[in-house]
Amino acid sequence: MSQQVHDATVFERRLRPIYDSLEVGNNRKALQETEKLLKKHPNMWCARALKALALLRLGRYEESQIVLKTVSNEKPVDDPTLQVLSFCYKELEQLDKIVYLYNNAVKQSPGNEELLAHLFISHVRLEDFKSQQSVALQLYKAQPKTAYYFWAVMSVVLQGIRGPESKFPEKTKIYLALAQRMVEKMINENKLESEQEVFLYLHILKLQKKYKDALEFLSGELCEKLYPGAPVYMKIDLLKELKMWQETNTLLKDLLKDDRDRWDYYQDYLISCFQLLKDAPENTPTEKTNDETPISELSTLDECHDFLCQMIESGERKVRGPYLARLELHKRMRAQNLDAEALLGDFSVLINEYFRLFGDKPCCTHDIALFLPSISMEGRQQLASKLLLESGISSTTLPQDKEQMQKHICALQISRICGSHLDLQTEHLLAFYTALKLHYEHGLSSFGKNLLHTDMGPSDPYALLAANVMYDVSLREQRSDRIFEALCLLQYVLRNSTSNFHVKLLSLKIYHMFGCMLGAQEMYDYLDIKQIQLDSMSYIHCNLLPLCGRFSMARTVFDATLKFFTNSYKERLEYITLTYRFCTFSKLEEFMNFKERLTNSIHYVSTSIEAQLCDLVMLYGNVRQNLAAYTAMSIEPAEDRISWNELSDNRDLGALIRWDPVHLVNVDEERKESFDQEVEVLQIRQLQLRLVASFVDIFHQKPNLDIANVTEDKQNIDKNINSKKTNQKTVNANSNSNSNDMESARETDTIELLRDSWSGLFQRLRLMNYKPLSNRFLVNLLPTRLHLLLEVPYEEFFSSLAQLVLDLYSGASNLPIQCKVVSDNASKIVQLCVQVISESDSAADGLWRRREWQNKVAACLEILSLYAFVLSVIYEKLQQPAKTKPRKKAGQESNSDLNIVNEKERSQLVIELMRHLRKQFQSCETAITNWKTPTLARELNSFMADMSLKPEVEATLIGDVASIFKESHELMIAELRNLIKDKMRMLSK
Amino acid sequence: MTTLRPFTCDDLFKFNNVNFDPLTETYGLSFYTQYLARWPEYFQLAESPSGQIMGYIMGKVEGHMENWHGHVTALTVSPDYRRLGLAALLMNFLEDVSEKKRAYFVDLFVRKSNQVAINMYQNLGYIIYRTILDYYAGDHDEDAYDMRKALSRDVEKKSIIPYTHPITTHQLHQANQMHISSN
Repeated sequence: MSQQVHDATVFERRLRPIYDSLEVGNNRKALQETEKLLKKHPNMWCARALKALALLRLGRYEESQIVLKTVSNEKPVDDPTLQVLSFCYKELEQLDKIVYLYNNAVKQSPGNEELLAHLFISHVRLEDFKSQQSVALQLYKAQPKTAYYFWAVMSVVLQGIRGPESKFPEKTKIYLALAQRMVEKMINENKLESEQEVFLYLHILKLQKKYKDALEFLSGELCEKLYPGAPVYMKIDLLKELKMWQETNTLLKDLLKDDRDRWDYYQDYLISCFQLLKDAPENTPTEKTNDETPISELSTLDECHDFLCQMIESGERKVRGPYLARLELHKRMRAQNLDAEALLGDFSVLINEYFRLFGDKPCCTHDIALFLPSISMEGRQQLASKLLLESGISSTTLPQDKEQMQKHICALQISRICGSHLDLQTEHLLAFYTALKLHYEHGLSSFGKNLLHTDMGPSDPYALLAANVMYDVSLREQRSDRIFEALCLLQYVLRNSTSNFHVKLLSLKIYHMFGCMLGAQEMYDYLDIKQIQLDSMSYIHCNLLPLCGRFSMARTVFDATLKFFTNSYKERLEYITLTYRFCTFSKLEEFMNFKERLTNSIHYVSTSIEAQLCDLVMLYGNVRQNLAAYTAMSIEPAEDRISWNELSDNRDLGALIRWDPVHLVNVDEERKESFDQEVEVLQIRQLQLRLVASFVDIFHQKPNLDIANVTEDKQNIDKNINSKKTNQKTVNANSNSNSNDMESARETDTIELLRDSWSGLFQRLRLMNYKPLSNRFLVNLLPTRLHLLLEVPYEEFFSSLAQLVLDLYSGASNLPIQCKVVSDNASKIVQLCVQVISESDSAADGLWRRREWQNKVAACLEILSLYAFVLSVIYEKLQQPAKTKPRKKAGQESNSDLNIVNEKERSQLVIELMRHLRKQFQSCETAITNWKTPTLARELNSFMADMSLKPEVEATLIGDVASIFKESHELMIAELRNLIKDKMRMLSK
Repeated sequence: MTTLRPFTCDDLFKFNNVNFDPLTETYGLSFYTQYLARWPEYFQLAESPSGQIMGYIMGKVEGHMENWHGHVTALTVSPDYRRLGLAALLMNFLEDVSEKKRAYFVDLFVRKSNQVAINMYQNLGYIIYRTILDYYAGDHDEDAYDMRKALSRDVEKKSIIPYTHPITTHQLHQANQMHISSN
């Protein structure tokens, strides 16, 4: 110990360069320096810890582990060493070891504030609230800071509402009562200091539904002193909980007088009015029996109306608030069968008035749309015509100014939301499209000059609407030409208005619809999607890339996405520790939920799986290299690492603007439907991956499990996310290694189990009879891969391959027959591939079903590529000397040696299979090489005539878009041919 | 017509209609979480009646002694909700919070070229306090204006006596460092 402490500054000076090297990522140099230092001071903890870290980061897990273990066992107490060791364990996801470290340290120097604080945080990482509480109290004892005391309070609260005991209401009650007493003790001792402490007290009271106490405290002196900025919403919510409607009403009126434009205030104000109305007859029965005039049923609402009118009239600047509140009052009255018209007049007149006042604001559409569901279909149509009339634009007039144009745009958008486009004849829709295009041009030339490059063009919404209309036509005609034309228009808009992200999003959508990955990628890059958007916006690009036909391009996008997730996974616990550090109790639960949501993102899980499949498909080295790459992926076939019930859907489906008929759009349902299908797709894909891994593993058993665990923990942080808690994960891994002996008894178990799950899954999916997602409108989600995976013979192929692998392993007598089954399946897949390509080539419209065709071809090649990899590793094993060859002992006692196909024959059969597959790849290659560039549904020239944009633009524009399609096709062909070339090499023996 | 409420983590998943705007930066998660953890009351969001995010403001309070002040880190309004006075509403909110925290002034940085924003801040009572050279690094470095508005605690309005000499970002950081260490 003494040597550790003496002359800290000297050590500090010597350690500095090691820290610096690690910081800049020069792990090799860091390792050299630690070794140099350790020569002089072989026992120095910190240097050894740094060595472990450097080794870890160099990927030398085994050595790192040894150093790490020895240093930890010596129970170091100095902060720098502990910090470095914590770093190692954090990277290894062994968070429980950090607790162990600091526990030891605290034992040696009890009452050390810094060490205790670290120990506390190490419990926080594991969400061990009970231990948190006890350490926080120790801390407070050692160093009576209020913050520590409140750490303990918060830990008690968490035990009550999130810990393992929170399932039992009586336990929750006890914990919350305890937390309350703990805070009250501080209040009595006059020790409450900060806003967040006050917040926590109020929160504890609210959790116990002690709203009255909370309100009293909130209005009290102490709260006023410590928490002058308490949001007024705390009070409003409490008043509502306590059903103090009169007080709510008065408070909100006061607030509204100061701020006439607050929707939240109006909503609660209206709620209070209706509650007062409800209470009124009950409270006044005596008055009614009296001779006095009975209180009119509507008096409260009369008053409410008066107040709103007063709000409208006061103030010099007109704001939307009171007008919208009046519409809301009308809507709510109707919902309760009250005579809204008598009080407020005709609803459509009110809306019209609103439109007249605010129609020149882009948000007017959103505002009015809010009230459309409350009126009849017929009423909506009438309203739509009324607003168009009000805008003053007819088929023969053009907007005179920007404001009028915006009004026109708003009226058109609302009319679509009302459903006016649904019953129009196709030729009317086309005429409408032409009009929209002309309006766009007119608006651009009249009001779109001198825009900043960061501005959107004021007439852009015409073009966006036009694209939606053209999709309607395309869908009716089941042809691509109209929407292709719309795409050209959008690309034209983008040239004039480079920052219009709506245009980019729609273009991206259309490119994907037609399988044009190049165009899609261009738009995606243009949108500059990054950070958390990689999760929330995944659905527009990344999630459409698996099986799109360009494996390596997809892999690059997966990579960028996974990088974000891996980073945020690493940081995920730091947010939470941060809230303790700043005592931001109000955010703590929110952060914990956020962490769960992010780490359980289905997009994260599914991108990890797709990336791994992609990697296996694209293997291009020799067998040894391929196996090494495979091993590094550390797929654990026997283990389902996905916590299926926790998966979260983080997509921001509202980012794409739409004006589709409100009665036909149900975003929540679309979300649920697509999410359910995505979960099924993930089921298939993870089983597929594990099956392939099990085929490889049975012939190439992984080395020593102990080390494998370490590597796996380190490398597969991506995949660890799936298991909910890290400590749980470690436990799993341990129990695995314990049962190792048992496992060896039946090496074939895993394959058999997975094959059963595989067949079971497909059986269930066919019974479920999922419907493809509706493609009714342009903005709807594109179909999931579920139906593709059901249609292409994935199920059959991998089931038969599983049998083949089992037979090859055991040398079962029916092996030759199974070989035939699998080769036939492979031939079938090639036939499918060839047939899809010829269908594509002969189609008059090469785009409408393009995406589907490309998906199918990619799926065929994926299956065959995985098959090629499996064959190549089996062949490799069968070539090796006899002693290492797999041998079947247990499980098949009945098989006498006579019936077993010997190894030489097996090897011969595998060579046959490889030869056959190579031939199949050859046919694929020929078909793919001759695959034609997609034909447009019409000649380019005829598009030009239709576009009628500026002639100088037209000529280049349509050509440009068409050539993106051509180039995208060529890139795909080149990539697929390369893939096949690699597979042929893999199979050549 | 607006609902004002605290920004929450979940909003990070759905602020795209605002953040796709070219003038709005999407930061790394730790940036947002740091603000949420340290200055939760300074991160406020405006929501439309339909539940869309209209815009948000992100800020903090820092400094020592008479430099204790609110700072606007980011202010953004979706293109669909511009010219409705939303920015003013959000700025008012932040000033209000800063008043309650007894800050002396509120400040913010803005690109020298962003005339629209500069005008808006001036209309809200902010003055150009000083120029910070090359504050915005990029292909073309750009100067920033440091704009300020005094709050009621600064009775003599000392915080807004303009500083005539431009300063470098280095000097700015040094000044901040000093405040931190003196804290």
